[in-house]
Amino acid sequence: MRVLWVLLLVLLYLPPAVAGATLDRVRRTGIVTDVLITQYPPFGFIDAENQVAGFDVDVARAFAARLGVRLKIETPSWESIVSGRWQGRWDLCICSMTPTAERAQVLGFPVEYYASPTVLVVHKDETRIKSVADLSGKRVGVGMGSSFEKYLDHSLRIPGEPPLAFPFHDVIAVPGDETINLRNLALGPGVRLDAIVASLSTAKAATESMRSLKILEPVLYWEPSLVATEKGDAEWDRTVANTVAALKADGTLAQISRKWLGMDVTTDVR
Amino acid sequence: MFVEDSGRFREKVWLTWLGLAGLLAWGVHGLHLDIAYIGAKLPFLLGLKLAPDGFIQGAALTIFVSAASMLCASGVALVTAAGRLSSNPLAFALATFYASLFRGTPLLVQVLIIYLALPQIGIVLGALTSGLVALSLNYGAYLAETIRSGVMAVPAGQREAALALGLPRWVITWKVIAPQALRLIIPPAGALFVSMLKDSSLVSLMGLWELNFLAQSYARSSFRYMEMLLAAALIYWILSVGFEVVQFRLERRFGRGIAVVTDR
Repeated sequence: MRVLWVLLLVLLYLPPAVAGATLDRVRRTGIVTDVLITQYPPFGFIDAENQVAGFDVDVARAFAARLGVRLKIETPSWESIVSGRWQGRWDLCICSMTPTAERAQVLGFPVEYYASPTVLVVHKDETRIKSVADLSGKRVGVGMGSSFEKYLDHSLRIPGEPPLAFPFHDVIAVPGDETINLRNLALGPGVRLDAIVASLSTAKAATESMRSLKILEPVLYWEPSLVATEKGDAEWDRTVANTVAALKADGTLAQISRKWLGMDVTTDVR
Repeated sequence: MFVEDSGRFREKVWLTWLGLAGLLAWGVHGLHLDIAYIGAKLPFLLGLKLAPDGFIQGAALTIFVSAASMLCASGVALVTAAGRLSSNPLAFALATFYASLFRGTPLLVQVLIIYLALPQIGIVLGALTSGLVALSLNYGAYLAETIRSGVMAVPAGQREAALALGLPRWVITWKVIAPQALRLIIPPAGALFVSMLKDSSLVSLMGLWELNFLAQSYARSSFRYMEMLLAAALIYWILSVGFEVVQFRLERRFGRGIAVVTDR
């Protein structure tokens, strides 16, 4: 995986896209191409009828409808998306992305569309870990390349958010596949992992199907999810921001949120 | 390759296979899998239905990607092997440089470079094209070496005898060297293609809905990880077995008149 990051670093130093290109393309073709992660229920997944479904998909559909264009969804790997420099392949990413200082260098983040709590998941027989402060020296699973990974090594800065507290030190972060991490934690406290940092919705879905896991109170911090765009088209960014603001104002987003999550995460509650 | 004297060889082989398969099935049974879930997803995994965008998916896409890449890789390999055997320094250098570059770097890196780095210099390939190009170039390099070794293994006397008979060059290549070389090339080439079948799962990185992509997506949507992994593994295995049968037939055809091939 290190090779991958070297590659991404190389891509960082190449010239950016032409300004205005995205909006022009969307107007010309009448199609908006959105990126979706299909392995992130209930935000994005493949349903029983083999169709893409979830919160992010419905938001993308509402977005395209409001803009009066057709929606096309593509499903590349997370690494391809966060490396930026899409070169016109995709127009936007309604894919539950949280901006970090690094991501903000290669991607535009015009608008927040929901915020979700980050929580700590442990095995139900866990006795040593009662709060996030007990994580020091423990093995904690996080999604590879996720913002949680940065949280554990004290380097998470969310642009536009107040600085976070990190009440732990020397945590052994175990980056990997979130599903595999959850299965590893379910083996027992400390067998392969001591805890997992994840989004509340992921954690909820996991604890419902894996009874041996539990979510610790309280919430660690709130993580905003923003629409991501290719950097360099200010006009497109404004269009995206205005469209999402309109969907928020008329209650469309809140309705989609209640449908998939049973609560409204699109209205700022922090 | 030897002639079996007792006629029970085939039966014993089948019995052993059956025993091993039974053991494997018993082990898998112990995992308490949700068979109904596998059943529900099987038509999609196999690619019996089209993806939402109307394109083929699942095993059908895996087969398509592998077959198309095999075809292109064979073309690339023939040209490269010719360059490798050529006395022209430029052709030799081009062929060896290419083969060394693509055999000496990981396929995963090649896939990502072709998909992510090429657009930076203005070449924006689609997901499917990127995958086909990466697999073809990678396996072309390996296959070129296989072809070269096969050609070099044909005794020099064969060519000399053909030259002495005054046969034209292309007749020597296609009627004397090629049939003898093919017999030696087919087994290792078959092994390469079986491995390509599984490496084709790397195109899932670009969002193609092939077998591995669907299995992973279903697994994470439902938390039925073992079910989907095992189902995908079984389908890959069955595809490989199909391929081995084809390879065996080809071996038999090109081995006519040389080895003692038992008809099992």
